[in-house]
Amino acid sequence: MHVTLSIWQALLIALWVALVESRILGFSTLTMRFSPLMTGMMVGFIMGDIKQAMIVTAAIQLVYMGFVAPGGALPAEPCIATAIAVPVALLGHMSPQGAIAIAVPVGLLGSYLYQFRFFLNTFALKPMDKYAKEGNARGLGFAIMGIPTLISFALFIPLMFIALYFGAPVISGLVANIEHGTLIHVLNSVGGGLAALGIAVIMQVIGKKQLLPFFFLAYFMSVAFAKLDISMTIYAIFGAIFAILYVTFTSKKSTN
Amino acid sequence: MSEEVAANNVDVAENEDVQAEEHRIPQPDKITNKDLMKSWFGWWWANEVPHTFDRMLAPAFCFGLIPTLKKLYKDKAELAKAFQRHLLFFNTQATWGGGTLTGVTISLEEARAKAMANGEEPISEDMINNTKVGLMGPLAGIGDSIDSGTVQYIFIAIFLPFAQKGNFMGALLPFLCFAIATFTYGYYFTKMGYSLGRAAAKEIMTGGRMAGIIDGLGVLGLYMMGILAGQYIKIQSYLKFSISKKVFDVQDILNTILPGILPLFAVLMLYWYFQKKGLKITRGLVYLTIALVVLSIFYVI
Repeated sequence: MHVTLSIWQALLIALWVALVESRILGFSTLTMRFSPLMTGMMVGFIMGDIKQAMIVTAAIQLVYMGFVAPGGALPAEPCIATAIAVPVALLGHMSPQGAIAIAVPVGLLGSYLYQFRFFLNTFALKPMDKYAKEGNARGLGFAIMGIPTLISFALFIPLMFIALYFGAPVISGLVANIEHGTLIHVLNSVGGGLAALGIAVIMQVIGKKQLLPFFFLAYFMSVAFAKLDISMTIYAIFGAIFAILYVTFTSKKSTN
Repeated sequence: MSEEVAANNVDVAENEDVQAEEHRIPQPDKITNKDLMKSWFGWWWANEVPHTFDRMLAPAFCFGLIPTLKKLYKDKAELAKAFQRHLLFFNTQATWGGGTLTGVTISLEEARAKAMANGEEPISEDMINNTKVGLMGPLAGIGDSIDSGTVQYIFIAIFLPFAQKGNFMGALLPFLCFAIATFTYGYYFTKMGYSLGRAAAKEIMTGGRMAGIIDGLGVLGLYMMGILAGQYIKIQSYLKFSISKKVFDVQDILNTILPGILPLFAVLMLYWYFQKKGLKITRGLVYLTIALVVLSIFYVI
């Protein structure tokens, strides 16, 4: 199966992946990212075999059925998986099941790429603070939308192009090699720890030290009840009850 | 940088009425359905594009509000403050959370701008921040399970047989149905949030219960932050060492002392740093990243 895509086919598919993964087409890219269907269709158009592409994609869809991303983190990137697996399946006349075997590890690598995009954004979006402070709406708009789009395109187009043009099997091999390596470990640790920053910022902004016990109460409730898998709504109801109790008891004191 | 504004947030809230008398801002323009649509579209469009680790979707939320805030705050300094407060940590789901909160926030900002123009006591920045922070989590929980967990897969399941037969409509139709449905009800939530927020803002401002409500929202906000800290921050130790053939697993030892101690330690160190030095977000980010990289290279975490 040493048939490859033409340069243009590889570039077009890479461009499509960048459009989806940059999320520049709005919220509806959610279903383009979570579901392989649209990507499979585009690959079919670009390669001129829509029928077979859709049959392979439907098989991949079944693997990713029911994927949701609570809090925004998806355990795999079905879009990237499909963009690699469908061309390989079409060129190598593979069965849909063979395509799945390629799709799963590639999708895993894809999710690290998507996380890496957040990491780059975290540092590259700093100019927005400057524009916000100046009250410069135009600059702020560019910093929020322009910079991350450029980053996504610079990240996804070359990588996807290389992967598609030089063959997906190389990619699956690569994934297996670095999956347990230090690089991925560091990326995971940094990604997992950075959320502490945003939360500390809000604590500082809410600013009332006498309310901090409620932060600790919630933190240890969430740690202690982690195994019970309590939904956010239930926690919010607890929070609202605590808030009402606090206001009721503190205001009574002041009227007396 | 948003550093000084938020650093002085406590003082700002206390001095707010004094400031409002000294410095009136021009009357804001009326907010129309078209403005709500613009802001909803802005948020819908930006949504995940500027996602960062430290602020998550706050830049997208701010992006949606830009046209509306420009109509409300004709005063450059107040506009800048409004931009800055909406760039702080925010994460929610797009339609149920983002749509509703876009509407609610616009109504609160409108009430604030009007009060400032009339020289009355405005809704404080704390109030706006706490409302967003308190509501974003629960609404996201509902939205994630309904939009991406249910609505999306209903459409996919209906049209999957087309795809299995090799028909591209099996891909196009679920996408179009999902896009149109979510865009439409998201806009409906924006309008609903706006009218709910307006009613609430009116009652708050005339009822004289502002201080109590700010405290209440502060409790809810800090409580939800505690929950998020417990669920989002993933720091654990991978360090193992052995003394006279007995292996010690550091995370196990930490768990017996206090489960969840490492994430809490990270948050409290940052909080303590901000308390001492003011809200220097960029420095906090750099220090935290360096610490995480160095510790994880050696598999301490």
